[in-house]
Amino acid sequence: MATRHRLLLDGAEHTVVVDEAGDQVSVTVGDGEALAVDVTTSGVPGTFSLVIGGRPVQAYVTRRGQGFEVTVDGRRFLVGPATGGGRQRGAMGAKDRMGEVTAPLAGVVVDVHVAAGDRITAGQTLLVIEAMKMQNEIQAAHDGVVKAVHCEKGGRVEQGALVLEYEADGIEADS
Amino acid sequence: MFKRVLIANRGEIALRVQRTCRELGIETVAVYSEPDRNALHVRLADQAVCIGPGPSTESYLVIEKIVDAARSTGADAIHPGYGFLSENPRFVDACEAAGITFIGPPASAMRALGDKVSARKLMETAGVPVVPGANDISADDFETARREAERIGFPLLVKAAAGGGGRGIRVVEQIDDLEGAMRASGAEAASSFGDATIFLERFVTEARHIEVQMMADQHGNVRAYGERECSVQRRHQKLVEEAPSVAVSPELRQRLCDAAVAAAKSCGYANAGTVEFLLDKSGEFYFLEVNARLQVEHPVTELVYNVDLVKQQLEVASGQVLPPLEGPLEPNGWAIECRINGENPYMNFMPSLGLVERVEAPLGPGTRFDSMLFDGLDVPVFYDSMLGKLIVWAEDRELAIKRLRRALHDLLIAGVDTNVPFHLALIDNDDFLAGRIHTNWLENSFTMPALPEEDPRGLTALIAAALASGMVASAAPAASGAPSASRWLRAGRANVMQQRVAAGGGRGWRRGTGSS
Repeated sequence: MATRHRLLLDGAEHTVVVDEAGDQVSVTVGDGEALAVDVTTSGVPGTFSLVIGGRPVQAYVTRRGQGFEVTVDGRRFLVGPATGGGRQRGAMGAKDRMGEVTAPLAGVVVDVHVAAGDRITAGQTLLVIEAMKMQNEIQAAHDGVVKAVHCEKGGRVEQGALVLEYEADGIEADS
Repeated sequence: MFKRVLIANRGEIALRVQRTCRELGIETVAVYSEPDRNALHVRLADQAVCIGPGPSTESYLVIEKIVDAARSTGADAIHPGYGFLSENPRFVDACEAAGITFIGPPASAMRALGDKVSARKLMETAGVPVVPGANDISADDFETARREAERIGFPLLVKAAAGGGGRGIRVVEQIDDLEGAMRASGAEAASSFGDATIFLERFVTEARHIEVQMMADQHGNVRAYGERECSVQRRHQKLVEEAPSVAVSPELRQRLCDAAVAAAKSCGYANAGTVEFLLDKSGEFYFLEVNARLQVEHPVTELVYNVDLVKQQLEVASGQVLPPLEGPLEPNGWAIECRINGENPYMNFMPSLGLVERVEAPLGPGTRFDSMLFDGLDVPVFYDSMLGKLIVWAEDRELAIKRLRRALHDLLIAGVDTNVPFHLALIDNDDFLAGRIHTNWLENSFTMPALPEEDPRGLTALIAAALASGMVASAAPAASGAPSASRWLRAGRANVMQQRVAAGGGRGWRRGTGSS
């Protein structure tokens, strides 16, 4: 039985076909050739030991939102489902949606420089989030007017949390 | 020897101290903030006391809470670790007043050394070379500063007298920038240390950071354990330390050690300490400061001198005499330490924290991993980003670097980003391999290589993700009468399958070609 997976990795879409016939597993990525894969794992989250064409590799797989986070030899990959709406908010370096600012990392809000109604310009520091003794300035990506601030000085925010909304100049709000 | 020691710290250093105590049969008392409840140092202690909420100003930095915890648990000594209260003489006074031994230098030595200006004066008297500079300048006395700056020459450093950890330091390239730097440094010093006094110092360029580990007992015996090379720094934070240094000959080592011993004797020092020096291109060295505590990088010294520095700290603090020196102290082999920080080297080292889902520590010959990590640790946001220290030992530097490369590849930390890719790139760098480094080398000359565009690890990730999502989907009940539920909602049931496998006595999930 073959299963097709449409996956998003680093912004590019990939089709991965997993073909299981009895004990045989063969995997085809994109236009590549079919690879015989011997896999053993304790589950998700867990370590996947793969032997691909005689070469053992390991991957640690855990669920992250609607996709997976896969760690391979010191590098972390986010692999998401390639169905629309799979945007990552703020987290993992992805761009915020127009009109929204999300926390790029978890931490404590140590300063909020703007309030609802304030005019902001691109590059201006909106708030400062402190994590691990480092202060991270969160800056405006566009010119506009602040609609609402969803965090307060001294409060804790999680990675990806919506911290501020604004009306971007000359652009209809993304609804 | 002590019966029960309270360790006034957290993270890897709390564990490090605890391990030696446990080996020596000394009971340990852990203190912890609320978010550290699940930390290893709490779980492994004989007694544990909660000292308040996450921010260290409300927990690990509150002298009264620590002393109260020691009193209520009957601890007869306190080990401060590094950071937090370790170099606070008021803490030493408070321990003394409570009749508890502080495992570290006396408050008087701390006060003499803690103020960088008085430390400079002490060293000048003791014949320890210091960097040309000017002491005791008020942060708003621009006139005196300008006059002194002309005498010292540019570039120079503006430093906070009460500074530490790289805070309150500014580089001044020309006279016009002096006032701004003084204001910035003074303000930072006032807010961090409550003291705006600054001093000026010639900026010795392309210098190495070389430090000497010393240990002093309460009977006037001081012993120096050779040098550590700590020149690989970013924003004045050390990232890689090694012992010995490629730049230090046996003759220079002897002079450095003599200077460190003189520095210790100048202020009646006791217990472990580190004397930091700048070593310039011509081979001249200058006193920088004394770190009056055990340091993060102490393990490299332990490995090349076969010594347990924490054990010696406990011994000298309980009044024992240091074993006598025999001949010139030459290191055995080579040790290198990498600080493993939770940060993303591909995104300008932005802190990365959160749930560490899985940790696999490197093992094998000459490999040591001092760390607070365990599977399921949610790294608290209140403290620094160091997750652990990977330390290797080998017969020589070349072999140590090879071992380090192997061990870095063996280290798995899933859930947060780490600077492991930075360390791997560093130890492939020609300048680092040749030992051509100085304290500004990393920031000026090293570029973190970009992620490879064609990364074979990406293919592995895709294959693993596809298999995982197939597995997750198949875990959903077959007769699911909810076609509207998305696969990803059904995926929430994957853990059910895991439990089913476990309940069935199976050892996991296995499909593949291997057994056919």
